[in-house]
Amino acid sequence: MAEDKFDRGSALTVFKTDRHEDFMALVLSLVIALLVYLFV
Amino acid sequence: MVYTRRTVWPLVLGIIMVAYAYLVQAGMLEPVIKFLGTGRITGEMQILGYTFGAIGIVIGLLQLLVPPKEGQGDYYLSMVGGVLFIMMVAFIVKWGLDPLMAQWGRQAQPALGFNFASVMNLNYVVMGILAGIIIVNVFKVPGWAENGVRLSRLGLKTGVILLGALYSLAELAQLGRLSVVLIGFFVLGSVGVVLWMGARRNMPNSMTGVLAAGVGVCGVSAAVASAPVVKAKSTEIAYTIGTILLFGVLCMFLFPIIGKAMGMGFIQFGAWAGTGILNSAQVAGAALAFQPNGIETLKVAEIFNITRVLFLPIIVLWLAVWYVRREVGAEKVDLVQVIVGKFPVFVLGFILMFALSSTGIFAPAQHYQGSYFDNSDKAMTTKDKDGKPVSKLLGDKDLAALQADAAKVQRQDQKAALQRLIQNKKLMSIDDDDTLRGVVNAKIMGKAANDVLTKAHRAVRHTAKKIAMFRDLIAWFFTFGLVGLGMQITMASIKQAGGQPLVVGSIVGVIKAVGSLIVVWLLVAETI
Repeated sequence: MAEDKFDRGSALTVFKTDRHEDFMALVLSLVIALLVYLFV
Repeated sequence: MVYTRRTVWPLVLGIIMVAYAYLVQAGMLEPVIKFLGTGRITGEMQILGYTFGAIGIVIGLLQLLVPPKEGQGDYYLSMVGGVLFIMMVAFIVKWGLDPLMAQWGRQAQPALGFNFASVMNLNYVVMGILAGIIIVNVFKVPGWAENGVRLSRLGLKTGVILLGALYSLAELAQLGRLSVVLIGFFVLGSVGVVLWMGARRNMPNSMTGVLAAGVGVCGVSAAVASAPVVKAKSTEIAYTIGTILLFGVLCMFLFPIIGKAMGMGFIQFGAWAGTGILNSAQVAGAALAFQPNGIETLKVAEIFNITRVLFLPIIVLWLAVWYVRREVGAEKVDLVQVIVGKFPVFVLGFILMFALSSTGIFAPAQHYQGSYFDNSDKAMTTKDKDGKPVSKLLGDKDLAALQADAAKVQRQDQKAALQRLIQNKKLMSIDDDDTLRGVVNAKIMGKAANDVLTKAHRAVRHTAKKIAMFRDLIAWFFTFGLVGLGMQITMASIKQAGGQPLVVGSIVGVIKAVGSLIVVWLLVAETI
């Protein structure tokens, strides 16, 4: 997939920067961990 | 730029997923599920099938009926097609190919002498990447899925963070001092040598980093976990995994031959295999090939293997700092400032999950990947269908079966463990459990007695539900991420990467194997 196909993010990610992606992964994981802790 | 493509495919995928979930729920796929041995995961099939199917139908209809307009809604909703496309492939890999390959591996085991699916690591990790590679190189990723495929790295990072929950500090503390020292030396040494060689051979930092983790720690999972830390390209991950597996298969066949030729004992060989072989399944394969009728070698190899896996958090941190320094050129800038600015935040998430898991909030603190020993009165009681308490202690019939064959057990430690089990009607320690697993494995007693020993083993071994859930979720995030990553690996990019990783990986692998052989041969006594 070529880089110029997307005017946002890059060929590898939909996020503006790697740090945005990291924070999103962190938030997603913590939400999942909380749900597992509370309901499983 | 408008990202949404007006296509019928998200809708079609949604309908297929819902239909599949319904067929599973209605029991119409019973013969297939029975054949594949996937009865345990029919709940998962329904939940994921209905959820992703419903999303596909709603968003698919919306995209077909409403003309797309440039903006946030268009950007984010257009990702749904790609997510569904990856999930469809992931379903086929996880619910079809993975169990099918496992079954073929078991069936071919008597003829081949080893389980090829386990040895070649033909599980969802490898097959997910392969599926992605095949799709992009043979069929191409459809235009409507391209935006969503870019979410695969987010899936991988989320999986890595959750992976931290599987490990605990207490487990590390329980390990033998020798295994920690030996493994620590070789893991850190191998990582250091790969980083040094990679720099000398002008390999990209990302390639060197992912190869260092793969060769140093625990093979495929370490390579996958460290890939986002060093921003490894999809091709570099594929190369590293290929190197690890090829080298590991070679070791699995050579190690037992060398071990027997040198007259190594069970403990010596277990320590060597656990230290020198790169991948967990291959460690187990070599240990079982060395001692097919007992469990002592496997047990020692597993202890060393677990120790190695538990070094992962340290290596991930090391690689994160190393990569940041290499990329920026730390001699010119303030390291603290660089780390604050560039350090991958998701690594902190992984450490945070590891810390949380170590506190024991998800499972008893001494658990390893969710499995733990507990023979307390509470743990030895379960409930039947009507909710009445049922004891898991051995009954009179069980004890009679054990006593009938007790004379066949000759080794003092095994005799003592068996006597303690008979007296207490339950296993009294992890050591007793391991010792009697060896008795079962060596088939010293008759079938009835072996069944009782297995029953006693199951009564004290527990799997934490929360950790089991984490394992399932991690597997899905990894499958999603790896299928997507595979879709970014074209033949041209593989040619571009060249054969450097294979050379460096093999050199360091050989150094590690020979070095650990010398150290184990000189330092490890049979009586540890």
